[in-house]
Amino acid sequence: MFELVTPLFLSLIVGGTLVGIIFGAIPGMTATMAVAICLPITYSLGLENGLALLLGLYVGGISGGLVPAILLGIPGTPSSITTTFDGYPMSKKGEGEKALRIGICASLVGGLISLLILFLFAPTLADFAIKFSYVEKFLIIFFALTVMAALSSDMLIGIFSGILGIFVSLIGTYDISKGGNGELRLVPEGTEYWLEGGFSLLPVLIGLFGLAAILEQAEIGMPKGHGIKDIKVGKKSTFSIGIFKGQLINLLRSSGIGTFVGILPGVGGSAASILAYSNAKTFSRNPERFGEGEPAGIMASEAGNNGLTGGALVPLLSLGIPGDSTTALLIGAFTLQGIQVGPLFIGNNPDTWNAMIFAMLVANLAMFAMMYVAIRYFALVVTIPKHILFPVILMMCVIGAYTINYGIMFDVWTLLIFGLFGWLATKLRLEVAPFIIGFILGPSAEVYFVKSLESFGDVTIFFTKSWIAVVLWVLIAASIAGSIILSKKHGEATDT
Amino acid sequence: MGTFTRVTIDFDTSHLLFPTIVSGVLALLGLAILIRDRRRIAGSAAYWRGVLARMDKMRFLGTLGLTLVYFSLMVPIGDFWPNTGLGFLICSVPFVFATGSLLSHDRDLKSLLPIAAISLTGPTFVWWLFTYPLFLTLP
Amino acid sequence: MKLTRRTILAAASLAAFIAQPMMSAAQELPRNVRLVIGSTSTGGDTYQNSAIVAEALADHLGINIKVDAVGASEAFKALKRDSRGTTLMIFHDQSYLGHLYGRRGYEDPFANYAIGPTVAINPGNAYLVPANSPHESMEDILKAAEAGERVRVAIQPGGVSEIGFSAMKNAARVRAPGSEENIVAVNTGSQSDKNQAMWDNLADVINGSIQANEQFTQLGDGDAKGMKFVWITARDATLQQAPAEGMGNTTRDQLLKFASPATSVTLDGEQDFTFDKEFFFLFNPDMDPAIIDQIDTALAEIFEKGDIQKRQKGSFFIPNFLPSKEAKAHLEAKRDTYRNVIAEISGSK
Repeated sequence: MFELVTPLFLSLIVGGTLVGIIFGAIPGMTATMAVAICLPITYSLGLENGLALLLGLYVGGISGGLVPAILLGIPGTPSSITTTFDGYPMSKKGEGEKALRIGICASLVGGLISLLILFLFAPTLADFAIKFSYVEKFLIIFFALTVMAALSSDMLIGIFSGILGIFVSLIGTYDISKGGNGELRLVPEGTEYWLEGGFSLLPVLIGLFGLAAILEQAEIGMPKGHGIKDIKVGKKSTFSIGIFKGQLINLLRSSGIGTFVGILPGVGGSAASILAYSNAKTFSRNPERFGEGEPAGIMASEAGNNGLTGGALVPLLSLGIPGDSTTALLIGAFTLQGIQVGPLFIGNNPDTWNAMIFAMLVANLAMFAMMYVAIRYFALVVTIPKHILFPVILMMCVIGAYTINYGIMFDVWTLLIFGLFGWLATKLRLEVAPFIIGFILGPSAEVYFVKSLESFGDVTIFFTKSWIAVVLWVLIAASIAGSIILSKKHGEATDT
Repeated sequence: MGTFTRVTIDFDTSHLLFPTIVSGVLALLGLAILIRDRRRIAGSAAYWRGVLARMDKMRFLGTLGLTLVYFSLMVPIGDFWPNTGLGFLICSVPFVFATGSLLSHDRDLKSLLPIAAISLTGPTFVWWLFTYPLFLTLP
Repeated sequence: MKLTRRTILAAASLAAFIAQPMMSAAQELPRNVRLVIGSTSTGGDTYQNSAIVAEALADHLGINIKVDAVGASEAFKALKRDSRGTTLMIFHDQSYLGHLYGRRGYEDPFANYAIGPTVAINPGNAYLVPANSPHESMEDILKAAEAGERVRVAIQPGGVSEIGFSAMKNAARVRAPGSEENIVAVNTGSQSDKNQAMWDNLADVINGSIQANEQFTQLGDGDAKGMKFVWITARDATLQQAPAEGMGNTTRDQLLKFASPATSVTLDGEQDFTFDKEFFFLFNPDMDPAIIDQIDTALAEIFEKGDIQKRQKGSFFIPNFLPSKEAKAHLEAKRDTYRNVIAEISGSK
């Protein structure tokens, strides 16, 4: 295998990681997009070199999202939504640099743990993953949805917002490629031409977090400064490894969850960080600090989404089935070279397999090194005057929305619609975090719920399908109970 | 398992099942909020008057208006030179400049100059990047 | 604001001025062409085929062609908006099968669009059963249906994945009228959902492909994921052109055993039903026919040279160039056959 490790191979990994980080860090650009753009180049690079580039892009793209999430409160990619919950409050307190360092370290840990799991257990885990039928997958999604309650400051309104998110995500057709029947619902008459495909996630996301924030600032007359202080000002701003003390379980659990969500085909990448975050909050001794700038929240989110990277490769390389939208593109890289991916891939192509593991390892280390060094350049973003930064962000959001589905103008309008909605939502005291989580998980929740009943024909199947289902119910119950206890405590605290 | 819990899903109408459930739950929760927060909701007219009174109308509505114009013109203009992304470039330059100067507090030459510089270089660089090296479709 | 409006007006009039000569000279493909495809995946077979053709065509004509994976319904919309030849489309049999099955967003492509040349075939469409299934062949499956056994087939409804299932029902009807009732669809989504339906014992037969499922047919005894081919829908003549080494550990000769004539799913008692997934161009109906001629000629020259065939075969596609007129006649005849199959079984779905 070592003859594969050429200077070209290494520089493709590092270069890919760098480009990936940049894509991840620009709101509106995603890891998936970076991989899609570079896919055609890989034909001439050959398989191992091509994969080196794409895996670098993948790891970099997933990681870069934490930068705008922490510094601007705009998630750079869908999987860094939960990073904004604690990262941005930390920035506002003047702890931006510390938050960045925590996020980068957690990303590395998540990436390495998932890589280790991939390397050691890929085929075994794939066999376990196929035990998850529609029923278990629905319960996983349901479990992820329970985080809505934990994230709400007012539980009734929070849950309402989350269900509204699900409702909005169902607008359009019941997607045939996910198992639906292709029929329209919830589409007002006369709007079918635009709405038949529903709203895409990325424009909704950058509308809610990007445009809405710009509108809010415009509304209050663009006060000087970013609302965040210099990223080093805060008293507790100094970062030391000590902050990870007592967080080992959190890091391991979040990386594990991220990896496992990646392994389950069809559950979707964004669910990884959401589940990791909700677990961290449920099992934390200080759950009330989550959402106010709690380092453990950033750790969970970033370990979770980087955990995804190794996980999503498990079903790809041991079943030929992609674990998320980015790995779906990797299949293209294999078929371009005439290589089959399926259950025999690892055994038939040991060199390629080893090269991939090695590339992932280098990509993770390169990501860590580059991002750690670049922190002070990231921080420059905060020094750009807002009246220059905002129009440029908006322009980038337009590009992101327009190119995410390869040139559909309705996605740009979606950005505007949800920018306005996001602005309006805070006025109406609706909660944006549960809304976006409902929106992300809604379509999977639907398919797995309906298909469970369609296939098994009995409501009790949700409880009786397997021991996995029972375990998931226990987790769901714990999460809900945790939220209720927390909200009671919170209520008493504010009453007195 | 009793017959009580059995359900049959007709595939042809299965697209309505989940939306119906979600709509129902949404309506119930909405009703609960309406009852619990009736006082706040009753006072919403005054609340919105306050919001409008405090609003920096020029910047807020200006940004919104400029965005609307920006989005509306991109495709028709780009249609003159199909598949070149020029619609994006031609619309972005004035948009970034206009929005930048609208949001800025100072509109003297010294403040407008950097905005002008960014509005020329930013969109041009991005347009070049996406059209040539990245080879993506822009309006 | 004034500045903006003035700039835009100026830009617009300048644009109109520059555009004039371009429009009068539109006898051939413009310099910048957008090729939309009927799939949203940039890792799938439609994208790969289109990218191969786009690259060859762009090189040959010295123009830029961008492939945009916007999906069927957006692709048709984009094609309908533009008759200048700046937007072209590549898709496969789904374009008319979607219409035949009455799916939303599909119009009759033969009536509403101009059919362009065919470029390639993906010969991979296949049906599989679990490795430990009592059914060894299509013959077993159809006999089981005759004997009153329910056979559940996992498909994605409304197109390419369903047509083989319709053919199975039709064959059952021809062999023993009424037995088609015993072949029932399990409606699923992607390939991973279909595999999962088999492993969850929700389906007895699944639709799949040579490329995605071959490795599952090579797993040892006792692996619960194991599968075996029962039917490959491609024409004998198509499969004969595949590389002799076949796919993975299955040679072309072994693959041929699962296709007609060795494996017979009858169409009418005499002929066998076959289905090749063919990729072809679709154009705006009002596009200048001169552009269609230009594309036909260019492709004829490209296929003459022979390099494109190597790339296609390297990715397990079968080169399949037919100029527009022949392509249209061929696809229409194919559509008529499938329309009859679907009509024959429609009473018993």
